[in-house]
Amino acid sequence: MMRINDDTVIELTGVYRNLTIDADHDIDIRIDTKADTELFLRIERARRINSDADIQHNCSILFWNDAKEKIETVENYRISSSADLNVAYGECNGADTVRKTEILLDHEHSSALLSTASLIGTEKKYDIVLTNNKPRTDAQIRNYAVVLNGGKLMIDAVGKIVKGARKSESHQVSRALSFEEGQSATILPELLIDENDVQASHAMSIGKVEEKDLFYMMSRGLSLKECTKLISLGYLLPITDTISDPTLKETLQNELERKISELCMM
Amino acid sequence: MWVKHMKKLEIKDLFVSVEDKQILKGIDLEVNEGEIHALMGPNGNGKSTLLAAIMGDPSYHVDHGSILYDGQDILSLPVNERSKAGIFLGMQYPQEISGVTNSDFLRAAINVRREKPISLFEFIKTMEKTINDLQMSEDLAHRFVNEGFSGGEKKRNEIVQLEMLKPSLAMLDEIDSGLDVDAIKLVADAIRKIQEETNMAIVIVSHYERFLELVKPTFTHVLVNGKIVMSGNADLYDRIDKEGYDWIYKELNIEKETEETPGFTRVSLGNCAVAETMKGQK
Repeated sequence: MMRINDDTVIELTGVYRNLTIDADHDIDIRIDTKADTELFLRIERARRINSDADIQHNCSILFWNDAKEKIETVENYRISSSADLNVAYGECNGADTVRKTEILLDHEHSSALLSTASLIGTEKKYDIVLTNNKPRTDAQIRNYAVVLNGGKLMIDAVGKIVKGARKSESHQVSRALSFEEGQSATILPELLIDENDVQASHAMSIGKVEEKDLFYMMSRGLSLKECTKLISLGYLLPITDTISDPTLKETLQNELERKISELCMM
Repeated sequence: MWVKHMKKLEIKDLFVSVEDKQILKGIDLEVNEGEIHALMGPNGNGKSTLLAAIMGDPSYHVDHGSILYDGQDILSLPVNERSKAGIFLGMQYPQEISGVTNSDFLRAAINVRREKPISLFEFIKTMEKTINDLQMSEDLAHRFVNEGFSGGEKKRNEIVQLEMLKPSLAMLDEIDSGLDVDAIKLVADAIRKIQEETNMAIVIVSHYERFLELVKPTFTHVLVNGKIVMSGNADLYDRIDKEGYDWIYKELNIEKETEETPGFTRVSLGNCAVAETMKGQK
């Protein structure tokens, strides 16, 4: 595992990379892909992260936010070959996050999946724009969040298909789950379509866990906190599917479980 | 001389309402450890309401009366504490819990009852045996709780939970509905086996004489218009099976409750009192 504490170029050469960002100032990161690669990026400390990536090979990137203080990130990805980008965010820390992510599908047959799994006890704001800039491109957004007491979630998710990007697809699903009254989630799904021959969809739900579900679980002896923990884990665990490395996947699953236990059992 | 402590459920003058509609109107019932009580009565007279109120379903409001279990006032306890006190409700319509596997759910439910968590090895061994006993699919442990289950699978899964959690009082609400003939016998045998092993008390709601024959209740109660109007032994459910409920209405000179409030529909076969009440208020 390598630690990053200053401006860096990350080269993805086909070997799995595990990096930790630990900086007390703003940093700039550039990601260059030389071969199909998986990258795990743990954020422990940073004020603001500016990241630029030119994606020319299939690439999976998982950002795991472990920061104890507020961070802001601005990320730009340009997919300039018929490559597939899979970028995922695990946001289960106890600090605010402001994240702006733009992905430009700038080559025919390129595709991108952006997914977030968030356990929210603080304030998290995500601005996401996926743009189909060339024909036959495929953009997918999946946001899953559990909003806990005192948590506030804001997601503005835009799927944009430009004129000429024929036979492209843009789909998004955003779901936020809460357990009590008074928790706040705002999700704005937007589709900006400037081409006729395309497929696009969005699905969104914000809701409280059914009282009957909680009654059922509690009737087996589980407290409300234990129910919250189990449901949250089931809701957010699929984020670890982003990573195929079995050791890292298990580590992440354990970490997610630990974070959820910490936040839900408080 | 050492005397074995016997757990007892004591219900006194219980009135329960849902959405301002009075369902139970003065229930008195005692159930001792080791006893099997069958709760019978026409649909929509409050049998499910009684079981749900004992478990603490928040949809039901206890207006008056008391419920003690093992000398403890359980009305003051949250639902999970009632469960930990030994009370189990096998539900008529078990919920589907998406994203939560049966094994995670049951392991958590077992651990809240223990000081030291169950070892993974012991848990897997017990779960595999229970799944096998109930002839459930081998992948049950890894499937989400009741999600995509058939009606019969859901009911058998309730019995899997019963066997794993080993309560001291099991309330089974139409646990036989949705089961085919073979599964009814399988479930009844499992209930009897658990009862013999643990000496748990059982309160069972069922419309099927065949199921009751297999479970062999020691007492039968008939619930009409929110009250227990008749109690007896096994002969009573046998007679009800042969003659229905009309003779009880005649013998006790009870009026059948029909339309009471404008907007409420008459309860029909296959619908519980609460479902009908909620429908009437829409």
